[in-house]
Amino acid sequence: MDVLLNEEEKMMRDTAREYLAAECTPALVRQMEKDPRGYPPGMWKKAAELGWQGMALPEKYGGLDLPLVCLGLILEEAGRAVAPLPLHSTVVAALAIARDGTEAQREAVLPGVANGDVIMTWAFQEQDPRLLPETVQTQAVANGNDFVINGTKLFVDNFVVADQCVVACRTAPASKGNAGLSLFLVDARSAGISHAPFVTLAKDKQSEVAFNNVRVPKANLIGELNQGWPIIERMLDRGTALLCAQILGAARKDAEMAIEYAKFRVAFGQPIGAFQSVGHMCADMILGIDGGSLLTYEALWRLDQGLPAKVEVSQAKAFCNEKCLAAARNSQSIHGGIGFMMEFDLHLWYRRITAWTMRLGTSYEHRARVSAALLDTPGRVVLGRPVPVVAEG
Amino acid sequence: MEFAFTPEQEALRREVRAFIAKEMTPAVLAEMEEHNDGHPFPRNNCHSPHLIALFKKIAERGWVGMSYPKEYGGQGAERISQYIVEEEFHRAYINVSLGGSGAAAILAAGTEEQKRCYLPKLISGEFSFAPGFTEPRGGADLASLQCRAVRDGDYYVINGQKMFTSFAHHSSHIYLMARTNRDVPKHKGISIFLIPMDTPGITVRPLWTIQNAPRAPVGTTYGACRTNETFFDDVRVHKSTMLGEENKGWNIGSMGLNLDRVGANRYLMSVQRDEDIINWIKESGGLGGYSPAQDPAIRDKLAELWIEAQVCRLMTMRSMSIVEHGGNFTYEGSAEKVWAPEHGVRTTEAITQMLGPYAQLLNGSPRSIRSGLFAHNLMGAFQSGINHGSVQIMRDQVARRGLGLPRGAKG
Repeated sequence: MDVLLNEEEKMMRDTAREYLAAECTPALVRQMEKDPRGYPPGMWKKAAELGWQGMALPEKYGGLDLPLVCLGLILEEAGRAVAPLPLHSTVVAALAIARDGTEAQREAVLPGVANGDVIMTWAFQEQDPRLLPETVQTQAVANGNDFVINGTKLFVDNFVVADQCVVACRTAPASKGNAGLSLFLVDARSAGISHAPFVTLAKDKQSEVAFNNVRVPKANLIGELNQGWPIIERMLDRGTALLCAQILGAARKDAEMAIEYAKFRVAFGQPIGAFQSVGHMCADMILGIDGGSLLTYEALWRLDQGLPAKVEVSQAKAFCNEKCLAAARNSQSIHGGIGFMMEFDLHLWYRRITAWTMRLGTSYEHRARVSAALLDTPGRVVLGRPVPVVAEG
Repeated sequence: MEFAFTPEQEALRREVRAFIAKEMTPAVLAEMEEHNDGHPFPRNNCHSPHLIALFKKIAERGWVGMSYPKEYGGQGAERISQYIVEEEFHRAYINVSLGGSGAAAILAAGTEEQKRCYLPKLISGEFSFAPGFTEPRGGADLASLQCRAVRDGDYYVINGQKMFTSFAHHSSHIYLMARTNRDVPKHKGISIFLIPMDTPGITVRPLWTIQNAPRAPVGTTYGACRTNETFFDDVRVHKSTMLGEENKGWNIGSMGLNLDRVGANRYLMSVQRDEDIINWIKESGGLGGYSPAQDPAIRDKLAELWIEAQVCRLMTMRSMSIVEHGGNFTYEGSAEKVWAPEHGVRTTEAITQMLGPYAQLLNGSPRSIRSGLFAHNLMGAFQSGINHGSVQIMRDQVARRGLGLPRGAKG
């Protein structure tokens, strides 16, 4: 048991932090909010050179084969710098291919991901935004050597620049046991795909993507037909834990800006940080972020070990949603009116943290997963031991 | 990062669990019910022969103070192994930790002679220290203490009064903070003395807590029915009873208090209710056919509390990790001491809204749930946020020491 970063992990974090501190300025973040593609290609290439996209991909395909915990450290730094890179969507989709795709699929996309040539994303959510199998209505029907996809996906991250998209489709009517879903690797430029960008709080690139008789070769099926849900669930869990890391990085930076401000901003004759009401607010911001961080890295660590981690992932996201939002809001509060001004940079963090807490599962959804594991399973619960309870060997 | 215990540590846990299953006899449990009087585990001076025999067995196994050096009666084990033992015993409502015993401060600041005198006997249970910290007008402002120790040749003469000297009626010694210099700023005139309770001039009077009538069931957070006030009237002690240097007692005392916060007990006393309520809901069959598990609002709240409890656990693991890396704390111990007590209160209060009028039924009442545990806990849980450095003071420490925020005009 050692929940602190080891030397290698610290070095990895510091390298990413130094690079982004130098290159990813608030001016660049602002510029990319207006850019039609939303990311600087030079920085994306540099990220690949630093090994970020391929960090947790197998060496065979140009990756570094490092644990998700390390990738979490990178996403935390990307969040800290609110870096305008399509990193999260790319690594989440690529990891699904690496873990559950065929050899041909891996060879087709992963080397490109690792060297920065390929941008990826995934499409799961539809009009009912819950992360449940029954919400998927988009149909894929076998036809000759292809599947034909029809339906509409919402909130697809970075679709505007994506080369490949992992798409969850219904291939059989909804049934007990969550069968009937299949996952496909889809070329984002396939005929029949159209998309409309959303205007979002984070000013990021999310789209509504319509599939109109889109033909996808049968070889692009990921996993077995109708057995896609466990693969999707693992992908979403990895994505959720990694998003937590990204939110935490942004929230910690946001809190640090408030703490620095409170040290120097004088009111009523002293720095406002000397007032206990402000000091205690700052303490709570950091403790909440620390708590989220411990939960998140435990979840990532369990995913790395191949241990059940659904509960741990949901614990992390439900907690980060609330504590990171509170930290961002309190940072606004400590900064006062200036934080509401467009010219001041603080909103770059506030808008992203708030938006990210809404993605990949609300607090209610994640707590419902936790309570089901606690209450709807046999056996006594004990803190520090797995939930739901598993028989001891 | 590594979020698992080693196979050796897991084996130790199984060994302790097997011991508890065998040794927690009905006679032991009956004594625990009877003597819930302020000592979490009565090691001496009390009428609990089965408990004393059990403690001896535990000590003989080397399970008390495992991380202390072998030359002072410990095992030289990793701190995390000691944590595992403390955790398992705490779940059986037995406190085997040396937290609050003064041992940590004696190990860090004692003379070789003091370490050899006290540590082996604290570990064996022959000695135990009552805390002699705060005073009638002191409260959380510990450094304002007025109890005086005046030098007289090779002796000091002590006069004053200490409040909340828990276990003083069972303890062999008291760990006393007293003022040895009144002419310097308040933090710079304090010294610590290690004083046998049978020294002439010491009087212990009981202070009965709100858990006294009826007495709280075993396992209640701060279920003790009594603490004490202790009076010192011309108590003469030899200068060799001083811990560390004269007038350096504030730093030693603070360091000892910080070390005492680290461990299984404060974390577990705060989170045990989470397990209790969930397991009660699963096992009890509910209330007249109604199960709180059916209510979506309660389900959401239980999950929220469970997640908070995990944060408490992981903050404790963080402190353990820091200890293993040399113990360089900045604010992490204080963080733990904010989160765990406040979480304990949130859970305790939430449970009352899950059980409604049943949660007001005390020990011995008809239809009380788990001997009134949840009602008694409502009278004790908040205490964890008050003593040993209140959560407000802990937040101050996080803000000033951890985040570097400035001190206020009246700080």
